[in-house]
Amino acid sequence: MNCEKCQELISDLVDGGLSRGDESTLSLHLEECLACADVRNDLQSIVAFCRNHRGEYSAPPNADALWLRICNVIEAETQLPARAALTRPPAKSFWSGWTSRSWELSMPQLAASAAAIVLVVSLGTTVGLRRWDNARGTGQVVSSPRSAAATQVRDRMWQQRQAINYWNQRVETNKARWNQGMRDTFERNLRVIDQAVNDSLNELNRDPHDEVSEEMLNAALNEKLALLREFSDL
Amino acid sequence: MSIRLLSTPLRFFGAHTFSALVVFAALHSFITPAALAQNRVSKRFPAGKNVRVELKNISGTITVESWNRDEIKITASLEAPTANVSPKLVGECVSIDVMGDNRGRGDVGDVNFKIQVPQDSSVDIETRRGDITISNIRGGLVRAHISTEGDITLSGISATQVLAQNTIGDIFFDGGFSRGGTYQFQSTKGNISVRIPSDSAFRLVAAAPTRKIALGEFWNNGFKTLGDGRKFVGDVGDGRSSVMVTTFQGSITFLRR
Repeated sequence: MNCEKCQELISDLVDGGLSRGDESTLSLHLEECLACADVRNDLQSIVAFCRNHRGEYSAPPNADALWLRICNVIEAETQLPARAALTRPPAKSFWSGWTSRSWELSMPQLAASAAAIVLVVSLGTTVGLRRWDNARGTGQVVSSPRSAAATQVRDRMWQQRQAINYWNQRVETNKARWNQGMRDTFERNLRVIDQAVNDSLNELNRDPHDEVSEEMLNAALNEKLALLREFSDL
Repeated sequence: MSIRLLSTPLRFFGAHTFSALVVFAALHSFITPAALAQNRVSKRFPAGKNVRVELKNISGTITVESWNRDEIKITASLEAPTANVSPKLVGECVSIDVMGDNRGRGDVGDVNFKIQVPQDSSVDIETRRGDITISNIRGGLVRAHISTEGDITLSGISATQVLAQNTIGDIFFDGGFSRGGTYQFQSTKGNISVRIPSDSAFRLVAAAPTRKIALGEFWNNGFKTLGDGRKFVGDVGDGRSSVMVTTFQGSITFLRR
């Protein structure tokens, strides 16, 4: 079996919809081909994440940034063909060109796009439901600016934690492939960042209005997010 | 008689064994274990003005230095013989993506780089771990990013945009700030030292929860101290460039060049 055929069948494998013959052939290929095994692992982690969080409609981890990254990847990959196309005279209309266009996306890109769509739709649903609830009017008075600010901080922290959980799951999936030295380095550095997060949180517990600690907390959380994101590719 | 018959082959065998051992020892002294284990890749590219070098490494030391030639030379020492390093020239940019080149190959070990570039180059280096040293670069951008641990040493730098970031490890910058330039140095657990000319003009935001911020002769009364000395904000001179320095568990020191 070649990689192209294998990647066509991977989603069926993850869904459990393959015949025994196909499954055993595919498994043999996956044991030998690390690239296809990576695709399978990525898809499994995305599907598992979606299953585990079904019905939660949680806010996506920084949906705008995620969309931007996906767009950048697609744009970068299509940039060369697009440049080549610019040199040719336009033969088709925009609509016919659009509909007849061949989209070449790898399985991870496709899976990431699907995950992004799910997350954005869930964000839309959450926001919509919240607005609907507010519009129904429960008789509550509009909250004070201070409590609104506190809620904003809590929401931001919660979103940040969601994002960290998401990337953490991806890292855990890939960690087995790293050598022991890299695992130790990662853990050691994660502990250092966690220490920075905890120090800032402790300061904020002492003084909830301490802007410096809030800034440091945000920076440390961003640092943690960046570390997880960078190691999720490794 | 029996003694002669036995001793002759023994002497013969002994002489050959001795010679073989001498040859083996001589060879062994030239071929060290490191030389046996490491492969070396070297490649040169022609460089125009405003050339840019991008390197994405996984692990290993990286040294970038300028030279007086209109070309870029990349030398990589590969710890694992299976590792693949394929520098590419796209337009004005030479890029090396160790991670991309070795996807699916498993552990590729350390890849140590030495890169020689023209002075006016832009340099964008990132790695998961390992020290980064960049010296004598005067291009538009100098970026050194270590996801985890490793020291960053930037010396003789005169770029309009400098970014240095690591988690564990010290950051040392020695150079000048250009008018309108931006300079960011961030470490989670490391000391940050900035050595600049005494007539430097910049707007500074420096934060260290440890309160170990020493601005030396760059301190002035216009500085605003926030959070009990954990953060300093203020202008030095006319504040024509922007400098941000942050360390969570280390010190910040400004030194006169």
